[in-house]
Amino acid sequence: MLTFFDSQNIFAAETKSVADSLVTSGEHVSQLPHPIMVLPFLVLLLLIATGPIFYKHFWERNYHKLSILLGLVTVSYYLGFLNDFRSIEHSVTEYISFIALLTSLFIASGSILIKVNFKATPVSNILFLLFGAVISNLIGTTGASMLLIRPFIKMNRERMKPYLIIFFIFIVSNIGGALTPIGDPPLFLGFLRGVPFFWVIQNVFPIWMIGILLVLLIFFLFDISNQKIADSVTAKSKQLVELKGSKNLSYFAIIIAAVFIDPKVISGVPTLSPLPFGIREIIMFAVAFASFKSADLEILKANEFDFEPIKEVAYLFIGIFLTMIPALQLIAYESRVYSHYLTQATFYWSTGALSSVLDNAPTYLNFLSAAMGKFGLDINLAADVKHFVTVDEVYLRAISVGAVFFGAMTYIGNGPNFMVKSISERAGIEMPSFFTYILKFSLPILLPVFALIWFIFFKG
Amino acid sequence: MYTLDEALKDKISGLCYGNRILLPFKAHFLKVIIENDIITDFSSSSKGISIVEHEAYSDLYFLEYKMLSENLSKYEAIKIVLVEEGKNIFDVNNHRKIALYLKEKHKVTIEETDADILFIE
Repeated sequence: MLTFFDSQNIFAAETKSVADSLVTSGEHVSQLPHPIMVLPFLVLLLLIATGPIFYKHFWERNYHKLSILLGLVTVSYYLGFLNDFRSIEHSVTEYISFIALLTSLFIASGSILIKVNFKATPVSNILFLLFGAVISNLIGTTGASMLLIRPFIKMNRERMKPYLIIFFIFIVSNIGGALTPIGDPPLFLGFLRGVPFFWVIQNVFPIWMIGILLVLLIFFLFDISNQKIADSVTAKSKQLVELKGSKNLSYFAIIIAAVFIDPKVISGVPTLSPLPFGIREIIMFAVAFASFKSADLEILKANEFDFEPIKEVAYLFIGIFLTMIPALQLIAYESRVYSHYLTQATFYWSTGALSSVLDNAPTYLNFLSAAMGKFGLDINLAADVKHFVTVDEVYLRAISVGAVFFGAMTYIGNGPNFMVKSISERAGIEMPSFFTYILKFSLPILLPVFALIWFIFFKG
Repeated sequence: MYTLDEALKDKISGLCYGNRILLPFKAHFLKVIIENDIITDFSSSSKGISIVEHEAYSDLYFLEYKMLSENLSKYEAIKIVLVEEGKNIFDVNNHRKIALYLKEKHKVTIEETDADILFIE
């Protein structure tokens, strides 16, 4: 049956020649999908955007089925029509890596309780968010978000408004993590391909600083109007910050260390191929299990620990990872075809726009591949990547910043965004809908900041 | 019938059957949070919750759920902002925050939320 579909090639991109319709994804070459196969991805995005607003309870009961169903449409197409198992395997492998990191950080952070006993003011909030931005480069945007969202809500409990959470998502869950490969997954993928570890901080720091300061300044303008309420809040305890469950910090350390346990980073690490995961993912899941089993029940109760937020992310993102394969392959193909016309500005805006709604890690890789293609370099060769970052660093800078910063544009732009939203809603905070988030916050606040960054750094 | 204070002080449990929770006191409900749902509509046309007052207790039906015990983990609370019956609802000092935890044998423990629980009124 597979042979039949393959010979018929009903839905493959038939208007192009065979040579033209090949696309490189990672280290293998596959046939270009038909553009109509982007439809399951668009449908899934539409469902994620409209479900919680217009048919909330139907969505809550069925989102996992819908996500998997749409994912299976793409899987059937690739297996049945393109006879391309590698693209699916590649995506599943990336998904397992993604969910292993998120799950382990989610569970480890759920067993840590940070109590803040100082009153929130615009200044203390700015310092807190700045701290979150810095620390997200050490424990990842996911780790920082999970660890800090609860204390941030607690310190603002008497003056809580949705903008506080949204700026937390902007700064801690996204923009903050642009300085190291640990900060955000796309930068880590770049590191695996040969981008030196400290290249990011050396080249992105000025942009990061301007981005963070501008968003913090806008936050200050929002928060200052909340000052009056803050004045009435009084600190109740002598100790400013209390940490419970500190043993779980060691679990955090193991998870972060495990990120580097990859055959591409450490030569002695065995690969478990053809399994779609490696030693790293096994360590992460094992740490998640150990962390949960040894957790203090009082801390779990205080954190109202529940698997639902991570379950929601796991189900939605398996659908996203699978349905986005055709979109990413088509983008990769088109960007290579037109790479000579692509400037640093187009790389910045294109990577950014797609990272707002697609997973930013593969988006980063595809645009990096296209940028290198401009100079006849191959993303699969570490020597070429090293050459590229020394000679044409502006393109990599544009792609890195676009991939990380623009993840803040929507709830689905980055994994932790959704989890922060979910934790906040469970605390009783009425969060804006998918569209309100974009129209009321990300477009008027982030877009001008990102446009200014483009003007200063990437216009040429 | 118990007052809210008595129920909290004497650790009187509520009960849970399916989507129904029975609380051993009467109160004015202002806000109920269950999972991601924040319920503030307590009118008869509310799609989220139906509250029935009895002589000695209150019945809460969570209309969007079949079995509450299947949806809530043992660490997760149903959080409620309420005012004890007979007290001035407009005095925010009378607004109380309680957390309900589902236990075995249909029991529901009722606790006043402490500072550790994330709960924004």
